This record gives sequence, structure tokens and C-alpha cells, in this order.
Amino acid sequence: MKYESQRIAWLFFATSMALFSLQIVYGFIMGFAHMGFDVLHDVIPFHVARTTHLNLLVVWLLCGFMGAAYYIVPEEVEREILWPRIAKLQWASLVAVGLVAIIGFHFQWFEGRKFLEIPRELDWLVVVNVVTFIVNIGGTMLKGRRLTTTSCVLFFGLLMSALLYLPGMIDTDHQTHDSYWRWWVVHLWVEGVWELIMGGIMAFLLIKLTGIDREVIEKWLYVIVGVTFLSGILGTGHHYYYIGAPRYWLMIGGAFSALEPLAFLGMAIYAITMARKGGRKHPNRDALGWTIGCSIMSFVGAGFLGFAHTLPSVNMYTHGTLVTAMHGHMAFWGAYAMLVLGVISYALPQLTGRKVHDGALASFAFWCSNIGMVAMTVAFAIAGIAQVYLERRMGMDFLAVQEEIEVHFIGLVLAATVFALGVGAYVVNFVRAGKPVGEVAQGADRSTADAAEARRVLGTEAQA
Amino acid sequence: MLSKKGARAFFVIGTGLCFGAFVLLTFDTFNRIPAQTNQAAMDESVIRGKHLWDTSNCMGCHTLLGEGAYYAPELTKVYERRGPAFIEAMLRDPESMYPGKRRMQNYGFDDRQIGDLVAFLQWIGTMDLNGFPAEPDLGAVAVPAAASGSSPLAATGNRPQVFNQMCIACHSLDGQGGVVGPALDGVGGRFDRPYIERWLHDPTEVKADSKMPKLPLSENQITELGAFLSQLRPAAAGTSTETAR
Repeated sequence: MKYESQRIAWLFFATSMALFSLQIVYGFIMGFAHMGFDVLHDVIPFHVARTTHLNLLVVWLLCGFMGAAYYIVPEEVEREILWPRIAKLQWASLVAVGLVAIIGFHFQWFEGRKFLEIPRELDWLVVVNVVTFIVNIGGTMLKGRRLTTTSCVLFFGLLMSALLYLPGMIDTDHQTHDSYWRWWVVHLWVEGVWELIMGGIMAFLLIKLTGIDREVIEKWLYVIVGVTFLSGILGTGHHYYYIGAPRYWLMIGGAFSALEPLAFLGMAIYAITMARKGGRKHPNRDALGWTIGCSIMSFVGAGFLGFAHTLPSVNMYTHGTLVTAMHGHMAFWGAYAMLVLGVISYALPQLTGRKVHDGALASFAFWCSNIGMVAMTVAFAIAGIAQVYLERRMGMDFLAVQEEIEVHFIGLVLAATVFALGVGAYVVNFVRAGKPVGEVAQGADRSTADAAEARRVLGTEAQA
Repeated sequence: MLSKKGARAFFVIGTGLCFGAFVLLTFDTFNRIPAQTNQAAMDESVIRGKHLWDTSNCMGCHTLLGEGAYYAPELTKVYERRGPAFIEAMLRDPESMYPGKRRMQNYGFDDRQIGDLVAFLQWIGTMDLNGFPAEPDLGAVAVPAAASGSSPLAATGNRPQVFNQMCIACHSLDGQGGVVGPALDGVGGRFDRPYIERWLHDPTEVKADSKMPKLPLSENQITELGAFLSQLRPAAAGTSTETAR
């Protein structure tokens, strides 16, 4: 760590950890409901649990991205965050909006559009919050000593994420319009601009962890994000097959989304090659593990399993079944959850000054959570494929099919328990590392007014 | 070898072209949506129903146009499948409709709200969805007509419409239908027509601990169902309907 204000990242990372833990709790509620034990129905009906589960995911990942930006940007552009006080306020307000939304769900306060369930009033607060964040990061970059491709790709990803939130706020009475714009947000986020964020963060981690020349890493970064957009933008069409949009989307969406795995494959090859070529043995093997793991699991989950049901002739039968849940779980885990856990693993020892990354618990967290997630994906796949054949192809009644596949949810919950143990170990490690009071690296300039301001805001003056 | 500059150009030009194409296609799509989605039929009630659909978070359990959650049935064609009376009964008191099964929250909708939701679902069913949802294409294999031992009377096409929409939600006939209540194969051999009609008027009048709800059936429908059900005789020996499942 080179700058005082990088410590702001810790607040976001800690929030991520808390929300991620909560997300898993709601996942279990749904898993048990699918097994036939919907015991909380009167307090937390399924739709509330599901909405909470999804929105917690979005918020903790965004928190992780924001934390990553606050950590990475100062180091990349070589200056303190422009307004540390505002950054801290922005964090507090994000937590406040998130809590209001989650509590609101339990009192049936919804907008009710998958992934975008938070009510319109809160949408506006999110916009204000994100604009503040973007301005703060953008300002820091403008006043920085250098502009790197890595930081620009990261910033562009964050900026576009913010802009693409807006189509989701277009008011409409028409279900097709509603769905059309909703995918501008959700698809263009996860299969578009979030991959820029992923590329930026991954490039930063690879530069730090492998010691490969920045020019080489950043060149391939352009190629990968180029392929991402080439396939991902028109690949949005795979959400437009059956919503009342023209038939040509079957061809366009099918062809372009079939190319989407290439971007993820590129990312995996790139990360693995860089790690193998890298001469520097960085002591933080744990962070490197998460980084490489992220690139591989995102290829399998997002690329391969996405391709498995993206072609219109397959999607006709799998659309709206548990097959989607199979793909969704591993895709989000591989591409974005592991990425955030990777950047936290890298930053935490530096933020807190405690080298917890080399412990056995860290390895346990990595392997347990990944094995658990693979097993969960298999359970979802079996349940989903059974559902497709029994319900969609043979015409069995919905509830009859659901009873047939209840048994696979026992498998799911068992796998989820392994997964939760792994994540639990990760969170324990995070808590054990303690507060962000780590030393700023030797040779860094701690005497500037900016650094003093950051210390004042973050309450670390005593170390000055 | 590719230079960093070349890589950047590839990124900028590729992204620009794709995004431009996407924007043009979006304009074209919005021009075609009215005709494809029967937009002319979207009246005030449909629009109120759509917003009620959103604020009640129906997608938190159901799918519509295949989008949503996978805990409750896909509702794109529900109007055609179940008919308005069943949907109304379901929305009025969800917990009585599938006793002992997966539960739906009782939202306490009033008559107007129920009407709006039914209108919305009816409109959704009229959209051209490029063939979604597909008809089950392996169904004929699953229940071979010759092996089922059923009378031609029980063939799907000869059944009263109300049977195919409402009864089949919970009961099965010839191995097709719900699993909530008992199968109705041969029910005419177990009960006579007056009993069946009394039962359909109000199940709990006949059997106090029956879990079957009193359904919103008209006198005509009850007469029609009584005639149909009382003629469903047990299959001849050796051709048990059980073998068909």
C-alpha cells in the first residue's frame, strides 16, 4: 500500500463480506423451500427470499468493485483519493440505501423486476451515490501523475455501469419494453461492462503478482475487452428470443452470444500464461490462486455453461427453468465473486499489515468454496435437466415435476453447506486480519496535505 | 506481432460498430413491437395489471415470458391453460387451491385488482413470442394412447373445457394432470352422477374434512362435469391405467 486513502477500500470490502454472508443465508432459505420445507413462508415468503438473495449479490459485488477502485486507482495514478471524506460518506450512504432496500423487501416494497427490484425512489439515491463515486474516482485520475490503461479500463467499466443503470429506469406500461430495457442493464452489465471491470482488476493483480511487463498485459487486455464487446453487445439478443421482439433476434442473439465464451476463454488463457511466465514470486499465492481461479471458473460458468443453453433451439425448452439457475450460480461466482475475493485477498494483508494469506485457513476457504460451488452447479444441472424433460418436453404438470426433483435439492443444500463453510473460512480470515491500520510502504510520500487529510478522515492520525 | 496501438484500435472500432448496430436494431425492434405484441389490446386494465404484477413481485416465484424465478408455474399461457375463473379463484385465496402443496402468499387483492391481473395475463397470452412456450414434443411417447386403456370419451378433445382448465390442475386423467388430488380415472364407477354434482357444488358439504376448495363453477358447468365424470368407468381388466404411467 502506498497511499493513506487506499484504506477507504477496507470499508467497502468489510461491507461486501457482511452482505455476502447474508446472501448465503437467504440462499439456504430458498434451498429448503425447494426441498419442501418452506417453514418461513409466513415471515419470509419465497419471493422475498429470492429478491433479497439476488439484490444482496448485486450490492456486495458493486461494493467489492468500488473498494477495488478505491484501492487500485491511487496506486495506478500515483496520488491520494481526491476527496476521502466524500468517499467515506458515499460508503455510508450506500450501506444506508442497501439496508433500506433489504428491509423494504420484507415489508413488500418492490419494483418487482428481476434484478432491479429496488423501488424507484431508491433507484435515484443509487444514481446520486454512484455519480459521487464516479466523480471522485475520475477526479483522482485527472489529477494523478500518470494515466494507465489498467486504470482507464477499470474506470470506463465503472462509468458505463453507472450509465447503463439508467435504461432500467425508463418508465413503461409494456411488458416487452420493460424486459427489453431491463436486459440493457443486466446483460450489458454482466456480459459487457463488468467484464471491463474484471479485466482492469485482473490486469492490476497480474501486474502486481507476476511482475510481467505492464505493456504486455495491457495490450492483451485490449484484445480481450474487444472480443467481449464484439460478442456481448449483440449477444444481448439471447434475452430477446421470446419476449415479443422480432424473430431476427433468434439469429443475431444466437450467433453473437455463441461467441461469448471466446472472451472468457481468452481471459483464462491470458491469466494462466501471464502467471506461468511471471518471474516474480510474490508471497501472496492466495491472491494469485483466486485470480487464476476466477479466470478459469468464469470460463466454465459464464462461458461454457452459458453457451450450453444459449442457442434458440435449446433455449426454447430451457428458458425459465432451473437450467438458468445452474448457469447463473457458477457464472456469478466465477466471474465476479471470485474476482472480488481475489482483490480482497491481495489488498487485505497490505491494508491491515497482517499476513493472513499464507495460512491453512486461506487454502481451506479457496478449495471448500470452489468444490462446493461446482457441486451446487451439478445439483442445479440435474434438477434443471430433469425439469426440462419432464415438464417442457413431456408435458408433466409443474408441481408434479417439482416434487420429482425435490431430492436433487437435498444434494444442492449439502453442496451449499460445503460452499458456505469455505466462504465462512474466508470471512473469518477477513475478521482476523482486523482493521486497516497497515503501514504505508516505505518511500511513499506521507507528508503531503492530501495524505494528512486522508489520515484525519480515516482516523489513523496516530500513525503519522 | 500485434502492437498495443493495434489492440486498442481493434477494441474501439469493434465496440463502436457493434454498439451502432445494436442501437439501430433497437429502433427497428420498437417499431415492430406494437404489431407483434397485440399492443392495441392493452387497455387501462391491462396496464394496471402490469404494474400490480411488478409491485407484487410476482416474478419472485413465477416466470412470465420465461423470465423470473423457478419456484412457481410459468404464466405466459395461463389464461388459455386455466381460464379466468381458476385464476380469479387462485388470486382470491391461493392457499385453498393447492392444499398441502407449495404455498403462494395471499395478497388480499380486491375484485378490481384481480380483474386487472386477469386482463394482463390474458393480454400476455395473445403476444407473438416466436413460438415460446413450445408444445411438449415427447408427450405422445410418454402416454401411448393404445396402452392407456382409456375410453375415447376421456380423450383430451372430448372433455369439457372446464375439465381441461380447472380439474386437471389438481387431478389427473390418463396419467396427465396434477398430483394434488386423487386421479379421476374410473371415478364414474365409484360415485354416481348426483353425488358428483353435489360434491362439485361444495366438497365440504359432502365430506367435512375435504381439502378440495369450493370452485367458482356455474350450474351448466356442474351439469356438464357431472355427465362427463359419471361416465368415466374403470378400465377393463388387464389394461390398468397404471401401466401407462
